[in-house]
Amino acid sequence: MLDRDVLLKVEGLTTEFETEEGTARVVDGVDFEVGRGETVGLVGESGCGKTVTALSLMRLIPDPPGRITEGSVRIDGRETLDLPEREMRKIRGNEISIIFQEPLSSLNPVFTCGEQVREAIGLHQKLGRRRSKEKAIEMLRLVRIPDPESRYRNYPHQMSGGMRQRVMIAMALSCEPKLLIADEPSTALDVSVQAQIIELLLDLKKRMGMALLLITHDLAVVAQMAERVIVMYAGRIVEKAPLDELFTNPAHPYTIGLLDSVPRLGSVKRRLPVIPGSVPDPLRLPGGCRFSDRCSSAVERCTIEEPPMISITGSHSSRCWLNERG
Amino acid sequence: MSGPGEKKSPKGPRSLWSDGWSRFRKNRMGMAGAVIVGIFYLIAALAPVLTTHDPVEQGDIPRMRYHAPNQQHLLGTDKFGRDVLTRILYGARISLLISFIAVAIAAVLGSAVGAAAGYIGGIVDAVLMRIVDGLLAIPRIFLLLTCISLFSGSVWLIIVLLGLTSWMETARLVRGQVLSLKGMEFIQAAEALGVGGRRIVLRHLIPNTLTVIIVAATLRIGRIILIEAALSFLGLGVPQPTPSWGQMIFSGRDVLLSAWWVSTFPGVAIAVTVIGYNLFGDGLRDAFDPRQYV
Repeated sequence: MLDRDVLLKVEGLTTEFETEEGTARVVDGVDFEVGRGETVGLVGESGCGKTVTALSLMRLIPDPPGRITEGSVRIDGRETLDLPEREMRKIRGNEISIIFQEPLSSLNPVFTCGEQVREAIGLHQKLGRRRSKEKAIEMLRLVRIPDPESRYRNYPHQMSGGMRQRVMIAMALSCEPKLLIADEPSTALDVSVQAQIIELLLDLKKRMGMALLLITHDLAVVAQMAERVIVMYAGRIVEKAPLDELFTNPAHPYTIGLLDSVPRLGSVKRRLPVIPGSVPDPLRLPGGCRFSDRCSSAVERCTIEEPPMISITGSHSSRCWLNERG
Repeated sequence: MSGPGEKKSPKGPRSLWSDGWSRFRKNRMGMAGAVIVGIFYLIAALAPVLTTHDPVEQGDIPRMRYHAPNQQHLLGTDKFGRDVLTRILYGARISLLISFIAVAIAAVLGSAVGAAAGYIGGIVDAVLMRIVDGLLAIPRIFLLLTCISLFSGSVWLIIVLLGLTSWMETARLVRGQVLSLKGMEFIQAAEALGVGGRRIVLRHLIPNTLTVIIVAATLRIGRIILIEAALSFLGLGVPQPTPSWGQMIFSGRDVLLSAWWVSTFPGVAIAVTVIGYNLFGDGLRDAFDPRQYV
């Protein structure tokens, strides 16, 4: 990717949490980039560090106990990790926005939805009272909330989960950010609403030309939306590939396991294969490759030495010794 | 008391406020309390219109003193020949003024300290809460008596002292609320949009604790009225000749058996007002209990 096409460049991002038992490194040396207008899927099981990665990009890690200890996050070439909080606040919502998993509790219960969209608009734009209200209604219309003028006066508890997620999207997009981070945007919603939200996000992305970092454990959602996919495991990126490449030619045993555990229509397999075990505790990582204790193709070397990211093709790389050539 | 979160709600959508209000209206005891409180405020406001006598002017003392309740003086007269009913009605002014403003001071100060401690956390929280613990350990009545005897007593001194000595519980309450709200996603969502710390506290945290603050304040008003009466009874409250309920009870204590009306009726007024506030506060608490938040 050419430098000028890179919107977000993350290098060596490391986030740690102090716990009573020691320091847990939840995100460990993560590198990736997101291009302008690109959709990148960040995939992994729960507990693998996806959400902490997203919060680190926003610098919203609760401190204490969390802290970003190393790395660099550049937005449009500008380093954000050492910005003063006041400057960072101007970036949040304005250049990068985030929508969370829980639309039910992400809105303030004592204000109307419209007021909250208007607050989001007023944070980064100086508009008069009437003008900002018009803009808020416009945003509600943009996220396809029916009858936005009267919905403007609704309180969050009077709306359904899907409608609330739409309000959240309207707030996140109100200042036309260059990058939207969507952290499991459809997980808490029921299936038909999920599809609507995903379709809405795709449409808005196209219309506004923003980049999207989609965080999910749902490979079906990734297949629908992403151009490139990053797979995370236990705080590490284990595979990066363009979407088609990942689905046709997965390189890391963890990715293969994830793909195999998705039910397929017309499949004759009686039982879905699952990856045995669960994501290791960040305080008790296995030696060598972090996946070695669950991996069926692990050899002795895997438990001793952690593999680096090994390039397979130009845009496809994986953290597994099996991909080492020669 | 209406707070900044109380918006005129449009027809149709119902806010937490209108929901709570409709729950409150179904609560008979709470409504009774509200009516009592309302009547006392009305009486206080309309005292000059409702009374035919002067509350301060002394009559022809030898002839007018200690008249038992009669048609002219419905609740009798006191040592100086002043109409007891008139003085009770004017006394409502001072009691309600003192309690309302003192509690308002306490609510604002307590919310500010509690919100700052809860939101900032860390060392700020530790220091502020130890100050609260320290102040709670000082017996209030002695503090009040000392201050009032050091400086000459005036209504405003009493108001400020009462306010400054009763904010600690509100601070604790608000801190607890803020701590539990701080972890909620909508606060994180606001931060993610670039909302600054002060705005988070004022617009997102305080409005969500407002019902708790108001309930606590309403219940506290009753207690403040009692403390003010106690101070006046000790002769350190509102200076003479301004009528105050506590001071009226005090002035009638020598003649309790012969002229019982001088002390009894102000006592009844205090009791009814305090009960009214407590019922009102309990009703508000039931209606706006934060656990019923959706």
